Amino acid sequence: MQYAILRKERFNDFIARLSEIQKLVAPVSKGYNNFAFEEVTTGDEIALKYIPTILPAKKFFLPRRETLLEFNDAKGANAEASVEYEPVTLFGLHTCDLSGIQCLNMVFSERPKDYNYITRKNKIILIGLECNEYCDEYASCHLVNASFPSGGYDLFFTDLGDYYVVHVNTPAGDEIIDKTESFEKAEVYQMNELKNLRDHKRKIFINEVPIDRSRIPELFDLSFSARVWKELEERCLACGNCTNVCPTCYCFDIIDEIGLNMKQGVRYRVWDSCQLEPFAKVAGGINFRKERSARQRHRYYRKFSYPVERFSRFFCTGCGRCTRTCMAGISLKETLNELIKESEDRVWRRWL
Amino acid sequence: MKKPRVAFFDFACCEGCQLQVANMGEAVLDIIGLIDVVEWREVMSEKWNGKLDVAIVEGSITDPHAVERIKQIRKRSKIVVALGSCATIGGVNGMKNNYVLDEIRQYVYGNSYQFFPTEATKAVHQVVKVDYFVNGCPVYIPELVAVLKAVLHGIPYDVPDYPVCVECKLNENVCMYDRKVACLGPVTRAGCNSWCINNGNICYGCRGMVSNPNEKGAQDVIAKYNISMDLIVNKMNMYNKCREIG
Amino acid sequence: MEKVVIINSSYRLKKAKILSTKKLTEKEKFFEIALSDGERIDHEPGQFVMISLLGIGEVPISVCSSPLIRDSFDICVRAVGKVTNSLHKLKRGSEIGIRGPYGKGFPIRMLEGNDLLIIAGGLGLAPLRSLITYVLDSRRDFGRVHILFGCKEPKELLFRDELEQWSERTDLHYACTVDRADADWAGNVGVITTLIPGVDIEPARTFAAIVGPPVMYNFVIKELLNKGIPENQIYLSFERHMKCGNGKCGRCQIQNLYCCQDGPVFNYEKIKNMSEAF
Repeated sequence: MQYAILRKERFNDFIARLSEIQKLVAPVSKGYNNFAFEEVTTGDEIALKYIPTILPAKKFFLPRRETLLEFNDAKGANAEASVEYEPVTLFGLHTCDLSGIQCLNMVFSERPKDYNYITRKNKIILIGLECNEYCDEYASCHLVNASFPSGGYDLFFTDLGDYYVVHVNTPAGDEIIDKTESFEKAEVYQMNELKNLRDHKRKIFINEVPIDRSRIPELFDLSFSARVWKELEERCLACGNCTNVCPTCYCFDIIDEIGLNMKQGVRYRVWDSCQLEPFAKVAGGINFRKERSARQRHRYYRKFSYPVERFSRFFCTGCGRCTRTCMAGISLKETLNELIKESEDRVWRRWL
Repeated sequence: MKKPRVAFFDFACCEGCQLQVANMGEAVLDIIGLIDVVEWREVMSEKWNGKLDVAIVEGSITDPHAVERIKQIRKRSKIVVALGSCATIGGVNGMKNNYVLDEIRQYVYGNSYQFFPTEATKAVHQVVKVDYFVNGCPVYIPELVAVLKAVLHGIPYDVPDYPVCVECKLNENVCMYDRKVACLGPVTRAGCNSWCINNGNICYGCRGMVSNPNEKGAQDVIAKYNISMDLIVNKMNMYNKCREIG
Repeated sequence: MEKVVIINSSYRLKKAKILSTKKLTEKEKFFEIALSDGERIDHEPGQFVMISLLGIGEVPISVCSSPLIRDSFDICVRAVGKVTNSLHKLKRGSEIGIRGPYGKGFPIRMLEGNDLLIIAGGLGLAPLRSLITYVLDSRRDFGRVHILFGCKEPKELLFRDELEQWSERTDLHYACTVDRADADWAGNVGVITTLIPGVDIEPARTFAAIVGPPVMYNFVIKELLNKGIPENQIYLSFERHMKCGNGKCGRCQIQNLYCCQDGPVFNYEKIKNMSEAF
């Protein structure tokens, strides 16, 4: 069965059953138009209409703190590498967040492989939820090709009024359909409605920034010394919010912690951010990205340039979190617009 | 191995940070087992005038007598730990520096004020060298434990040099600015795991400012959220007045 | 929460023992290390290992011995941070953890049959010592060999005995300079670039290997290009704070390159336009 139907009156029943299988996580409202992925057991708790959560789903794949080694005797090198994980089902991920997880999968599956990540990833079930329209003006998901579903999930829900059309993408997804006993077979008219929605979406989701997707790497090739970065120097507070909320930022620090007996301890990793002052500092005191402008530039290049060379895809998912969270009002779309404008100026000048 | 000789001292403060030490729970028993506490006015009556391995100092330095006393403590201690905001950044005692010293002396001590010499409030490191800083009002117990472990281990403890926002965001708190409330998180050093905001309060800046704050950027933010500059300066000065001394 | 042991975790440590230590200068100490299971680290000159002290942390340190010495390897450590200071306190027989070797070293096979100009600034001599000792042990595979070494003051000279030996050898040209002399110093005084014009090389067949503090590179490279050494025959090694060694943590990134995987030794031609590199 490739497509199934969940009638809305059965939604709460489905969620209740789903939460019985294993821990279920879904977007919930935190007030003030903020949302977070948190554990739920009933459908009522879920915010079905939500803007991207404060933190993306990466927190389940790459916990903000995770043990890498454990040891019983700090003198010596006897340490055990292990991973703690919890089988979990994530419900309600938008296509931007699914895209973010695909990015992380590529990074951590690349050699040398990261088995902490891979082990945990294999225990997570992903259920997507389509955005029928833009969440808000900060999103730029179409620019980076993340406005439509393209894999990376077990099940994918599309709201079509009285019912959801559900794409069953994996055997694990199939199993959920069977176990929860809430689904019907999709009829031809329902599939047509799905097609109509997608056609409609193609009209409303348009490039949020006036540039052809394929030209973005070229734009960045030309923009390393752009004025924009200098402007960001004055505005950025270096608080690291933009990277912490980014679904594809994965930089980390590794720290040792020892017990009071000075024997037992752990080596763990924690999220870190290239935006923070100490990030690129070496022991001698030199900071290789001392200016906030260089750090901001690094962030943008890590979204639109470097990963294109390495993984052939953008590491921006267009979710808009970095813009929403920035107190200084640094906007991804604006920055890109500025870069485009500046590069056009440069082209014009060459002709004049 | 001989246990390190440790003493607690207090200067101008509420002694709440020493109370936090007592509040550590089980960890305090483990730590007490590893050290030899020779003086701690809050919990014991013995005094110690000899050499010390570790002096844990709470409170800020506010008069000539205190200056002399902290210098003596420094002289006989291998390691000095500044405990809590008053000791690390001057803390609320720094508010005194908003006034003309003689005027407030008269206000407090009346006619006999001349018998009570006073000085501008200083953090401990503004008077003597400090080896370890445990920021916070009061100190945050997990960080206190981490610092004490570093002291016992003989390795440095680096106070995070990034803003509280980092930890606050990781705790998935709704930003105070989204709630239209001014918060000092963006310029205050992390390390407290955004303790106050996790519990519904704002950040008061009790841990001191990050070393390289973007002051111009901060002004833009204040303007963007339509907050008065005076309000922010007042909030900042509640704990951070002493940073003007340098 | 469930928990499984990861046998092939890239963070697992190999046990190693400190065979000997030697104080080289005020700040630098030399350690001879062997893996406890008798295995070899099998490094290339220019590669680094992660040295691990449980409970304190890990640091990336260049291997400074020749890969031809198979039973053990050497590192030279400057005490600048938490881990390096603690490492300095360790004595013979202490057990430490090792990961690696990591990264790309000097392209030995490409250097063979050519002349070498090796330029070291300060602690940069440590990774280059690995290359130098390899070259000297397989001397006939290389053409002419020049070694230039500079440091701030005479008291900062590393591997003094070896410097002495190099200066006496007839099959290589060795020169040394200090920025500031002391009363006993009879040698050259001046920054390292002052040694370069006097070196007699055939640029087309000379490969340069440079390691030193960041400020040194621009000046040295300019001199080498003046000499006519082609850009793609210049190799240099960068210092960054690698944390994971696996090209993941992002700490050592220079634009799109990870110092820990793509470097630390880079070909100048490939990175010359990267402003974050210099």
